[in-house]
Amino acid sequence: MRLGLGTQREPKELRPRIFMVGGFFLLGLLVLAVNLYRLMVVRYEEFLALSVDNQFKDVRVRAPRGLIRDRRGEVLVDARPSLDVFITPAFCQKCVAEVIPRLQALLAWDLEQTDRVVDLVKAARGPQRYQQIVVQVDLTRDEFDLLNSHQFQLPGVDLEPVPHRHYRAGAALAHVVGYMNEVTSDELSKLNGGADEARPPYAMGDYTGRRGVERTFEQSLRGQDGWVKQVVNARGELMRDASGNALKRDEVPPRAGRNLVLSIDARLQAEAERVFPGTAGAVVAVEANTGFIRAIVSRPSFDPNEMTGRMSPQQLVQLSRDPLQPMLFRATAQHYSPGSTFKVVTLLAALRAGVVTPQTGITCTGGYQLGSRRWRCDLERGHGSVHAVDAIRASCDVYFYRLADLLGIDPIAAVGHDFGLGNPTNFGVGGEVPGVMPSSEYHDRVTKGGYTKGMALNTSIGQGDVNVTPLQLAMLYATIANGGHLYQPQIVERIETPEGKLVEDFKPRLVREVAMTPEQRATIIAGLIGVVNEPGGTGFRARLPDVVVAGKTGTAQVARIGAVRLKTHELSYWQRDNAWFASFAPADAPELVVVVLNEHSGFGGAEAAPTAGAIIKKYFELKKTDAEAYGLEYQPPKAPTTLKVPLLMPPLEAPRDDARAGLAQQAHAPDAGPGRATFAGAPPPPPPPAEAPPRPHPAEPVDPPSTEGAD
Amino acid sequence: MELRVQPRATAHVPWVLVVGVLLTAAVGIYNLASASRPPASPVWMSQVLYLGVGVGMVIGVALLDYRLIQRATVPLYLLNIGALIALKFFGHTAKGAESWFVIGPFRVQPAEFMKLGMVLMLAKYFHDDDRPNQPAQGFMRLLPAAVISLFPTALVLVQPDLGTALMMVFTAVTIIMFSRPTWPVNAALAVAVVLGVGVLWNDYVREQPAQDEQRFTIIRHKLKKHQDARITGWLDPMSDLRGSNYHAMQSKIAVGSGGWSGKGWMEGTQTGLRFLPEQHTDFIFSVFAEEQGFARCLVLLALFGVILLGGLGVALSAKERYGAFVAVGICAMIFWQVFENIGMVTGLLPITGITLPLMSYGGSSMVSVMLGIGLLVNVSMRRQIFRG
Repeated sequence: MRLGLGTQREPKELRPRIFMVGGFFLLGLLVLAVNLYRLMVVRYEEFLALSVDNQFKDVRVRAPRGLIRDRRGEVLVDARPSLDVFITPAFCQKCVAEVIPRLQALLAWDLEQTDRVVDLVKAARGPQRYQQIVVQVDLTRDEFDLLNSHQFQLPGVDLEPVPHRHYRAGAALAHVVGYMNEVTSDELSKLNGGADEARPPYAMGDYTGRRGVERTFEQSLRGQDGWVKQVVNARGELMRDASGNALKRDEVPPRAGRNLVLSIDARLQAEAERVFPGTAGAVVAVEANTGFIRAIVSRPSFDPNEMTGRMSPQQLVQLSRDPLQPMLFRATAQHYSPGSTFKVVTLLAALRAGVVTPQTGITCTGGYQLGSRRWRCDLERGHGSVHAVDAIRASCDVYFYRLADLLGIDPIAAVGHDFGLGNPTNFGVGGEVPGVMPSSEYHDRVTKGGYTKGMALNTSIGQGDVNVTPLQLAMLYATIANGGHLYQPQIVERIETPEGKLVEDFKPRLVREVAMTPEQRATIIAGLIGVVNEPGGTGFRARLPDVVVAGKTGTAQVARIGAVRLKTHELSYWQRDNAWFASFAPADAPELVVVVLNEHSGFGGAEAAPTAGAIIKKYFELKKTDAEAYGLEYQPPKAPTTLKVPLLMPPLEAPRDDARAGLAQQAHAPDAGPGRATFAGAPPPPPPPAEAPPRPHPAEPVDPPSTEGAD
Repeated sequence: MELRVQPRATAHVPWVLVVGVLLTAAVGIYNLASASRPPASPVWMSQVLYLGVGVGMVIGVALLDYRLIQRATVPLYLLNIGALIALKFFGHTAKGAESWFVIGPFRVQPAEFMKLGMVLMLAKYFHDDDRPNQPAQGFMRLLPAAVISLFPTALVLVQPDLGTALMMVFTAVTIIMFSRPTWPVNAALAVAVVLGVGVLWNDYVREQPAQDEQRFTIIRHKLKKHQDARITGWLDPMSDLRGSNYHAMQSKIAVGSGGWSGKGWMEGTQTGLRFLPEQHTDFIFSVFAEEQGFARCLVLLALFGVILLGGLGVALSAKERYGAFVAVGICAMIFWQVFENIGMVTGLLPITGITLPLMSYGGSSMVSVMLGIGLLVNVSMRRQIFRG
């Protein structure tokens, strides 16, 4: 055995080195102790804070957005749960290699969608990897069940019900109510930049109102988000107590947004949508004495449910390229020649200036000679001697040419400006164009060669450069109806808390008083009553049996009239006249003003007046229904005394399909679908043809409207 | 050969060491119960079993004839090396490293035993090499020692098990230093340390020359990516907190948030919410620090101090070189393992997979430590036989 021999001695020489090793060990332990002291005592606070940060996750609790209701409380806009799929990249293991292909298979994604999701997931860096990314919205129940049953194969994939803005009326009211979508990062810095403490900040992924009242009243509708401090583990999983409730340390509940109450009456709105036959156009029904909108149609429209985060870029491009411009809010954001509806302005200007009295007669021979040019009246054979009321009723152009000749353009422009033409109405909801109210100064500035009298003549009958929006025209007629008070149109009546407590009540806003003597007003209204109720009136199709409707038709030329006047159905869609009807009722104590614009449809008497009549009829029916429902006394409006019902006229022009055919040539004929969306719950009846005046008396002969197609 | 415990020998059981070990192991189980609280599986129960096996090992090893162990050193060493090589072919791969043999329900980590084999082999070399009145150890005489230690270290390193490999190097260097080398050897070691620091500085700390320019590195490009990331994380703790540095930071948070008195047993939030990786093995100390606080951490360090000093006491009383070298070697092994583990958990050293003796969960770790303790007890008890 080798062991032993020289080594049997005690290794005494090792002793000092053992002590050295021991010293070294103790030194090492001391180093550890000092380091521990540094971490656990010196930097204790710092690490404690970090460990607290670690275990709690501040989860934002979205505040419910305010509802939008109509004046009777019917919900127009609320929220519905949308089952959305989220991916949290940090917790999604083998995301691109396995999880996304599985999702692709389960949800039948196309390649494009898959690529988009892969890009989104790959793009997440750093702390972003802990944020949820929406990869699919609005799962069906079946898809939800399918994903749920595969959830263990889908790490980092969450399915959550997310409140999604729900526009119950669909495309109806879309321009007024608006829609929402995600704030962009540019907006984020802008919106959150201000030092407005009261306004809660926006976060990435928040939605904001984009149009209409959603945008205008964003700050009221939007609540204040709350948050919950929740206990999470290292994987971000929520920790729960024994009974399954999420553990939370602290919370601030969200404050729900305020509800808006619109002045819209959903029933009247639905009726307006139903009876308006146009492919494109606008209907405005406004309270004569307050300026509150009761119904407003702009067609074609879009579906705000789709616009709110459910649209692909392709669909958006398609929408923006549609020649009918569905996104355009025709009631305020587009102006049109008012045609004959403008004649009331010319008449008031003349009466004010005193160049004529209501009794002054002017002879119409079918044309008016000014200098070397002859202006045609619509009735080639002439109206004979007409005074103010006749001129309005029969829409005699020569009468107004004469007035313009006497006045020049500026007094007309002054009255037009009084009525708010040429300036925005400050409706405040959606974009607005000011329209054009030309004056001599305007023509000197804009027209080559400057102002000439002929321009006054054109303006006097609502052609030439004068342009109005349907809403401006409605406010103009409301001003005549209520005796000279020009109101600012409004659509929001009240802001309420979610519990229904009043926050803000909007009062009628008077813009200005328009000078108008009772006599002048009476003259104009007499003419307007005649238009609807008397033989030779162009607006007889708006006649109602039990309400006196006052109104004015208008047929605004879009294209220059050639040598031969073509029938409407002979023209292509874009060259057809715009049909107007501006009206109010009851004529003696006006309540409701209805303006109808039917783009490129033909004659105002045929294409716009029946719609207005139907809306006014519905208005009084609803008034009666409500009065009965609430036990109020209903005072029916004064019925027309001398009702002269015309012969049932055959449709003045080719059926509407034909109008569509004209459009079809543009290869963009919109289906009846989007434009015809009605209120939820109301089954959309087929839009009836222009309603014939009710209660026909075929026995009683009346003059056929002599100004067929001419007003 | 007598296997009976001589009554005289029992008097030389190093009670301080044994009590220190048992206390530490008890603390370890208590702490493990918290680290493996529900919903994790209660591995502390298995640990109790391992401790029982470990105590059995201590007794068994202590009863072996001292000279038998001495004679079995070379076969043991070769057997361990054989096991490490065999691991390359039959090993069980987990987390990218081939570190285990799976034998029935058990997983055996040969590297844990290699450490002991290496210590024994070095002790035998320095024992056999010893001549009366010889000069100090020069380079040539240290060459075999270097081979003895570096060959198994290299085998462990390629598993890859950087932590154990580093610990083996440190242990070997400690033993070699203990053998009283000549001053050129000391100088060479000093130069090696300076060079090592220099390489680290060059590869990791030095300002990067330019954005796109390739940094001149000496060894960095040869490291595996995860090893590189760990060194980066060690030298620049605030980099990549969500990525490779996440564990280091979470561990520091756990330790630091313990404060003086800790959050309380089973109350650690970093532990309970599983922010710590490997919290019942490599990061067991973070659990202890977070829940027990600084004061009890000092107590734990003191317990390790007791074990180390008890072990060195064995070395001091050893009657010949082999026993002394074994004792010092085992102490060095325990010391470096403690230092490396706690250093890594507290951000002093890069994160390498290494267990904390007697505290971390794991049969192999427990058994290898207990084998070492058994050897210490054996050395202590058998010292009398030479008196005859």
